[in-house]
Amino acid sequence: MSQKSEDIFNECLEQILKGESIEYCFKAYPEQASELEPLLKTAATFIRKSSAIQPAPECKARVYSRLQAMFYARQEKAQRRVRIPIWHRKWALAMTAILGFLLIGVGTVAASAYVLPDEPLYAVKLAGEQVRLTLTFSDTDKAKLHIQFAGRRAVEIAEMGSQGKGDEISALIEQFANHLGQVYGVGNMDELVESGVKAPAATLAPAGETEAFEEGGDKGELEKMLSDSRELSLDVLENALEKAPQATKASLEQAIEIVTIDYDRAIYDLRNSAG
Amino acid sequence: MSIEEDIVTRAIKGDGEAFAQLYEERFDKIYRYVYLKVGNEAEAEDLTQEVFVKALEAIASYKWRNSPFNSWLFRIAHNRVIDYFRKEGKVEKVALEDDIALPSESNPALAAEREIEIQEVIKNIEKLSPAQREVISLRFGSELSTAEVAKVLRKNTGTVKALQYNAIVALRKMLPSGR
Repeated sequence: MSQKSEDIFNECLEQILKGESIEYCFKAYPEQASELEPLLKTAATFIRKSSAIQPAPECKARVYSRLQAMFYARQEKAQRRVRIPIWHRKWALAMTAILGFLLIGVGTVAASAYVLPDEPLYAVKLAGEQVRLTLTFSDTDKAKLHIQFAGRRAVEIAEMGSQGKGDEISALIEQFANHLGQVYGVGNMDELVESGVKAPAATLAPAGETEAFEEGGDKGELEKMLSDSRELSLDVLENALEKAPQATKASLEQAIEIVTIDYDRAIYDLRNSAG
Repeated sequence: MSIEEDIVTRAIKGDGEAFAQLYEERFDKIYRYVYLKVGNEAEAEDLTQEVFVKALEAIASYKWRNSPFNSWLFRIAHNRVIDYFRKEGKVEKVALEDDIALPSESNPALAAEREIEIQEVIKNIEKLSPAQREVISLRFGSELSTAEVAKVLRKNTGTVKALQYNAIVALRKMLPSGR
């Protein structure tokens, strides 16, 4: 076959992949139609048959959850790097916690980052989170960790729900709510004021002034983190709801409702806190 | 800047939503490509996951100017499949499953028909040369353009077109009725 015919065949194939019919190609290249016809029909048959290969929805959701957990872990890692200067504070507490890390085994903690509540390493994961909170002295950084851990719980709720393991969901919702509840507690902090961020006069602040406040400083950053976490968490939960077995759909629906309310409340409280 | 370039740029900067969008748009295609190469659902799921994990880890180093994002991502998949065959000590030959699991289908007859079709596709692709199989998997399974396939396989587009044409001729002989 000449180079030209190969090109024509390829051009027709491109059109078929874009949704055109084979007849369209015959009309476009009438002289080659008889030569192209059997080949294009074969190609079209293979394209159609190949399209029947689809990943299982639960596989897609599972991988998505893992990626989301990885994404959170990366954010946390980036924050850890920023936090290095705190080494000189509260030595005794830090050393105790580091010792705890060593005793548990750093490898074990790292390996536990993606485990789920029904897996043996889950307790290590929670302990690792607690150690990180203990080792973090900045209120803002503590609040960021709580947001990240709340996001983790949301991913776990989604994963448990999509696997039909409804028993774990209520406990996870409670942990999720606890983390978000802490954001305002530690977010309502002195260091926001120390860092020169001007607090708005609660809801009475003019819109422009509030926006200016939110755009800068730790408080604005926390609000952005909360919004991003809210979006990702709801996305993964809604995705899980679609694929979940009937038995856990109600639990997931309830979780979505609570997660939405809690995020909105946390954002509202943070936005309107006196700082 | 195109919409796709904007999404990829945001993903490079660590925007989770942008990465999720790239994932959503490409997961099925990567899975199909891998499946056509390994012919096994469980392996295809694991390898597809590894491809996206690798992509998330490496996306910060991705440079748009060197190759389109699709080519970059499918290059990861291509390399991962090669590693799989190398590590498993397997010859690159599609392992047909006895029972291919399909997405839940309300009509069992339709599901069975689709299963037979997939088995036919895999059985026929197995008879192609490795290079032809690669091109067909990327072109038909993942619907990549010839230029994208060329980038993934590091061949020129003329070679890809020739491989594609020869593969179709071979497949045509396997399906004399033109089904």
